[in-house]
Amino acid sequence: MTVSFTLNGRARSFSGDPRASLLEVLRDTYRLTGAKEVCGEGFCGACMVRIDGHPATACLVPMGTLEGSDLRTIEGIGTEAELNPVQQAFVDFDVVQCGMCFPGMVMTLTHFMKDNPHPTREAVKSALTGNICRCTGYERIIDAVMSLSGAAHPVTEVQP
Amino acid sequence: MKNAHDPSLAVMDLPRRDARDKLRGRTRYTVDQAGPEVLHAVLLRATVASARITRLDVTPALTMAGVHAIATHRDAPGLHGIGIADHPIFASDIVRYHGEPLAVIAAETLAQARRAANAVIVEYEAMPPVLTLQAALAPDAPLVHPGWESYEVLHPGATRGGNIAWEARVDRGDTDAAFARDDVTIVEGTYDVGRQNHLSFEPRAVIASYEDGRFHIQTSTQAPWTVKHVVARVLEVPESAVRVTVPAVGGGFGLKFDCSLEPYAAILARKSGRAVSLVNSRREEMMTCLCRENAEIHIRSAIDAEGEIVAREASVLMDCGAYGGEQVFLTTMTAHTLAGNYRLGAAKIVTRAVYTNTPPNGAFRACNGVYNTFALERHTDEICAAIGMDPFEFRRRNVIGDGDIGATGQTFQGDVLAPMLDRMVDKYPVERRSGRWPDGRLYGRATTVGTWFIFVGPSAATVNLNADGSATLVTAGVEIGSGTMMQSLPQIVAANLGIHPDAVIVKTADTDAAGRDLGVGGGRTTVSIGAASEAACAEVREKLLIVAARLLQTNAAALVLTNGRVEVDGKPGSGMTLKAVIAEAELTTGPIAGSGAFTAPGTTAMPGCATGHFIDAIDIPVFAVHDCEVAVDEISGRCEILSYRVVQDVGRALNRRAIHGQIQGGVVQGIGYALTEEVTIGPDGAVDQTGLESYRVPLAGDVLPIDFELYEGAPSLGPLGTKGAGEVPILNVAASLACAIANATGKPVASLPMTPERIATLIAGEAL
Repeated sequence: MTVSFTLNGRARSFSGDPRASLLEVLRDTYRLTGAKEVCGEGFCGACMVRIDGHPATACLVPMGTLEGSDLRTIEGIGTEAELNPVQQAFVDFDVVQCGMCFPGMVMTLTHFMKDNPHPTREAVKSALTGNICRCTGYERIIDAVMSLSGAAHPVTEVQP
Repeated sequence: MKNAHDPSLAVMDLPRRDARDKLRGRTRYTVDQAGPEVLHAVLLRATVASARITRLDVTPALTMAGVHAIATHRDAPGLHGIGIADHPIFASDIVRYHGEPLAVIAAETLAQARRAANAVIVEYEAMPPVLTLQAALAPDAPLVHPGWESYEVLHPGATRGGNIAWEARVDRGDTDAAFARDDVTIVEGTYDVGRQNHLSFEPRAVIASYEDGRFHIQTSTQAPWTVKHVVARVLEVPESAVRVTVPAVGGGFGLKFDCSLEPYAAILARKSGRAVSLVNSRREEMMTCLCRENAEIHIRSAIDAEGEIVAREASVLMDCGAYGGEQVFLTTMTAHTLAGNYRLGAAKIVTRAVYTNTPPNGAFRACNGVYNTFALERHTDEICAAIGMDPFEFRRRNVIGDGDIGATGQTFQGDVLAPMLDRMVDKYPVERRSGRWPDGRLYGRATTVGTWFIFVGPSAATVNLNADGSATLVTAGVEIGSGTMMQSLPQIVAANLGIHPDAVIVKTADTDAAGRDLGVGGGRTTVSIGAASEAACAEVREKLLIVAARLLQTNAAALVLTNGRVEVDGKPGSGMTLKAVIAEAELTTGPIAGSGAFTAPGTTAMPGCATGHFIDAIDIPVFAVHDCEVAVDEISGRCEILSYRVVQDVGRALNRRAIHGQIQGGVVQGIGYALTEEVTIGPDGAVDQTGLESYRVPLAGDVLPIDFELYEGAPSLGPLGTKGAGEVPILNVAASLACAIANATGKPVASLPMTPERIATLIAGEAL
C-alpha cells in the first residue's frame, strides 16, 4: 500500500505498514524529530501536528488514513529569520524550559489563535487541555499567548 | 582578584539561547539522535517482584532476525550504589523487583529486538515478596538482600541490618529528660506519603558506541561524571575508558541524577561493534521510575509554657525499593528538615531506608524535604492548636535565626526566615484562616516555612579567551531545562570579563573536555559551577591585565574590564579593546585561558551527635515561606487553590524572569504531588499507573499564577551571593496545601496525595 500526501509543502509517498503511526514515520523515515513521543496515548500533545489544517496527535494516526492529506509539522512553521507570532511571544516572555512540549504547544496555540484572536485566559487554558508541560506550570505560557490577543498583527502562518 | 567586578553587572533578564531551536523543533535531544546507522535495544524485565531465577536461556533469541548482541549479568558482574554497593545492573540469581532487567538485546530494529526479548527463556521459582514498609520490618520478614552483610560499604559508620539498608541518627541533647518534664505539652503525629513520578518528558535514553578501545556514551543525564564512574565500575573497566557527552536534556527533576540505562548500551556497543540506542518506553518510565519515595513520618514534640520547643523526637521510614540508591544518602536530610526550621532544645531523629521488593526510588526535586516539610508543618499547626497559639506567631517566634543551632549543631548565620515571614504577612495580612467561601465551600488559609540546602560539592571550569574577544566556558554542566547553562553561567562569566553574555560560548558537557563535576541537581549548578567559573575568570583576568598594563603603561590594579575593553578605572575610552590585548598576548605569552575549581570545605557541626550521615551540616541553607488559600467542596472533596504566594530566599537573583519560571513550574509540580499524583503498587509488585491516563499531572486548567517575592541578601557561599533557585520552589507546597485544607475542613490531614476521594472521606469522618 502506498500513501501519497503533502508534508510541509513537499509531495511525499509512503509505502510501508499502513498501521505505522504518523509519529514514528515522521521521526524515523523523514527524521523530522520536532514532534516528540512522550505518552504515546494522545494525552500529552507533544506530537501535535496539523492534518488538513487541524491539530492532531500524530501518535494516534495510522499512516493508512492519510492519503491525499496536507501535513504540517513544527519544522514547517516559522523560519530561521522569522518565527511565527506564537513562537516569538514564547521567546519574548522567556517561557521555554526543557522544551520537549513546546513544538506541540506551538502547533496547538497557533491554530487556536487564528480562530480565536481575542481569547480569555480560561479559553487558552481549555485549548491546552491536550498539551501537558512538566516544567513551566503553564501560566507564563498563557501570559505570552495573551500578549498576542488584540495585537496589531493577528496570528498568521509563517512558513518556510 | 575574585569579585573584582560589580556583582550587579551579572544581573539581567538574559533570554535563553536555546529557545528558538526548541520552539522550532530543531533541538536534538538524546531521543532524537539515533539515525539509521544505530542498533536499537530493549531490556527484558522481570515480571515478578521476588523470585529465584532457575533458568535464563538467551540462545533462542541470539539467532533471531536482526539480532546483533545480547547481554546478561555475566557481562556486568560489578555492583554499584550510594553508601553501599548493593546494586547489580542485571538480576543474576534473584529477582528483587517487578521490572528488574534480566537481559538486554540489540537488533537492527526495535521490533526485532522486542521479538527477540520474547524468545528468551526465563523460569522462576517465586518467593514471597515484601511490598510495604510494614511487611519489610515484620519480625519474620523475608530478606530482600539475604547477603547484605557481604556488600562493600562505600561510606562507613551507619547501622545496617536485614531489610534496613541504612540508618541515620541524630542525638543532640537529652530528649528523655525534656519529655519527662511536668511543665511541657507533648504533641505527637504520624504522617504518610506516596511516591511521585518525575514524568520528565524525555525518558531516560542513551546511545553508546565503542571507539578506539573506549566507550562513548551520549546520554540524557544530569550527572555525566556519575555515569562515567558507574559504567566503569559495573563493566570493570578503567574510568578513563569511558567518555560521556550530553545533548540537551528534556527534563530531569532528579530522575537523571543517577546512572540508569547507560551501562546496558555500553555493553551492547562493545559486543556488537555498532552504536546502540536504548530508550525507555513511557510504560517502562512509569513502572521503573526512580520516584520520590513513599514514607512514614512520626514526630513527637515537647513544648514549654513559653511556646518553645524543648525537645523533638522523630522517626522516618523511607522506602528505598529493591536497592539503596539515593535514599541511603537522603536519610541524612530528614534531620535537617525535621530538626531544622525551628529552634529545638534537644533532638533525637532516627531515619531508616528500608528495602522492599518494589522498583527502586531515587532523587526528585527537594527529595524527602518535600514530605518532611509537609509532616513538620502539619505537626507545627497541631502544636499551635494544642497550646492555643496563633500559627503565624508560633512560627515567627520559633524559626531558626542568627546564632541558632541546627539539627546537627551547626550555627546558622543571619535572620532569614523571620523577616521572610514578615514580608509575607505584610503583603498579605491574615484576616482569617478558616471559614466559608461566599459560594458555601470550606475556606482555609495557611502559611508555612521550609528549609532545604544547596547541594554543593566539587565542580571544575575552564575559560578560554578567544581571539575575537569572546570566551568559551568548558564545564560538565548540563542544560536540563532550568536555564542555568543558558542564563546564569554566561551572565556570571560575562560580568567577570566585562563582555556581553552573548559572547560567552557554553560548551555542552563532555567528560573528555571538562573536569570533574557532581552533576546538575540539588540547586548546585549556579553555585558550584558558577564559583568554579568565577575562579577560572579570575585567572583569565590576571593574565589579561598583566599584558594590558604593559601596553597601557599603568598598574594592573588600575584597570577594569568593561564593554569588551580594558579601561583605566574611571576613565572610559582610555584603554583598548580586549581583542587588541589578546593579540598582544598571543605574541608574548600565548593564548589566555584560566581554570577554576570549587568545593565547599564542609560546615562544622557538633561532634558525635550524628551517625550514618553523609554530610555533617548544611553548607548553604535555603529558606522558603509559602502561603495559600483553598476552597474545598464538602461533598466531592475537590480542592480549588484560590491563591498561592511564595517568598523565596535566593541570595542574589541573577535572572529574575528565569527564577519566576522555576517558581511557577516548581510550585505546580508540588500541587500535582499534593493533590493528584498517585503511584500505587499492586499485589504483584508492579506499579499500577502505567501511563498518563492513570497518573494525573496538573493541566493548564488546574493551575494559577503564583505570586512571588525574591528575598535577597541572606548569607551564601555562592558566587556573587547566589543560591540555587530551581529546586526549592517545590519544598513547602504539599505542606501549605495540607495545612490550608486542614484549616478549611477542621480535619487532621496526615496523608499525601490529598485526592478528592481522600478529602471527602476525611470530611465524612471515616478513617482513612
